[in-house]
Amino acid sequence: MKHQTALSLMHASVDGQLGPLRRLLLARHIARCTSCRGEQERLHAMRTALRTNLSAYRAPPGLAARIGSALPREVPPEIRRPSPWLPRTGFTMAGALAGAALTLALVWLPARPPADSLASEAIAGHVRSMMADHLTDVLTSDQHTVKPWLSARLNFSPVVKDFVAEGYPLVGGRLDYVAGREAAAVVYRRDKHTINLFAFVSATGENTPPTLQQRDGFNVITWRMGGLTYIAVSDVEASQLENFVKLVRDAAA
Amino acid sequence: MPHLDAAFNLARWLTGNATDAEDVVQDAYLRAFRYFDAFRGENFRVWLLTIVRNSFLTWLQDNRSGRVLFRPDVNEIAETWADPAPGPEAMLVEQVDRETLATLVAQLPAEYREILVLREIEDLSYKEIAQVAAIPVGTVMSRLARARQSLRKAWIRQEKGGHRA
Repeated sequence: MKHQTALSLMHASVDGQLGPLRRLLLARHIARCTSCRGEQERLHAMRTALRTNLSAYRAPPGLAARIGSALPREVPPEIRRPSPWLPRTGFTMAGALAGAALTLALVWLPARPPADSLASEAIAGHVRSMMADHLTDVLTSDQHTVKPWLSARLNFSPVVKDFVAEGYPLVGGRLDYVAGREAAAVVYRRDKHTINLFAFVSATGENTPPTLQQRDGFNVITWRMGGLTYIAVSDVEASQLENFVKLVRDAAA
Repeated sequence: MPHLDAAFNLARWLTGNATDAEDVVQDAYLRAFRYFDAFRGENFRVWLLTIVRNSFLTWLQDNRSGRVLFRPDVNEIAETWADPAPGPEAMLVEQVDRETLATLVAQLPAEYREILVLREIEDLSYKEIAQVAAIPVGTVMSRLARARQSLRKAWIRQEKGGHRA
């Protein structure tokens, strides 16, 4: 490796961003080149100094609340409880994360006519699961792990099946809440899109066929079977979500 | 509010003050909520930081103060890989205190500053930085090298100048 090339790769090397081959070639050059060795040491020292002493600014208290209140959508009054404590609790990392989930819950429930509130809540849950880095509690494509995991924590047992052959691989599951009820959220993927399938105990027992709603860029399909309400939410195309729902319903039959 | 600290940190370093940073962050979150369906489930923090940067650029246009304009440097690549040949004082960079370091970084051109902040504070990979700053990975590499070299030179100048702030 030429000296100039070595110099040009030095930063990437110190940052751990070089592939194995170039790392090897660079190491060979440095072993023979005192000038490069010196530069490498200086860069390491500088990187340490920067990482130790370059300050990360933290969001000031109240900013989260201010942003929340500036968001275009109104939040139903019973949910809107501007919580001044939320951003002020010292802003520890854990606090910030817990706050993230809560704030989103406050912020993301769109005020819509009550008839659509289930779909809205499901969308909110879907969005929240992705924004709060909390997609799954149990991350496995093994349906024989996800199903018992959910059953152990809920008093019902939703359909869980890996549809990988059909192009809808199972990603995992988590516990969630929809309409104030404990819900199972089973997570699938379609290409790069995430599908959240919520299931919870229905208020009324009758089965209903799937109905599709489209809002906020999401497709939502709701139906009832076996005493459970199912809601599938995703930003995949409607036809693909319909295919998915058919698979789930066939699996239950 | 997810990643609010990261968003604020980038905005604070880019705008140079807390008040403007808050405006930029607020605008960024409004955009993020509005365009959430454009998010394709990769890395949410990277996506959000990209929006923060775009909000900053919009803010720059609206508040054209001439202070911190991005100026793409055509000689950038050519100059970057000159042998640094530093004197022994270069090692002093290790002993820089927080306040001085913050001042020196704040004086870097914005296009170097943002990359330094994304790398050293947010610990993004070159690829992620490339996405946020909308530049090729090779440019990330050269700008980062330039940023560090400029910083080192500024530090040495400052030392020689006898600790003037």
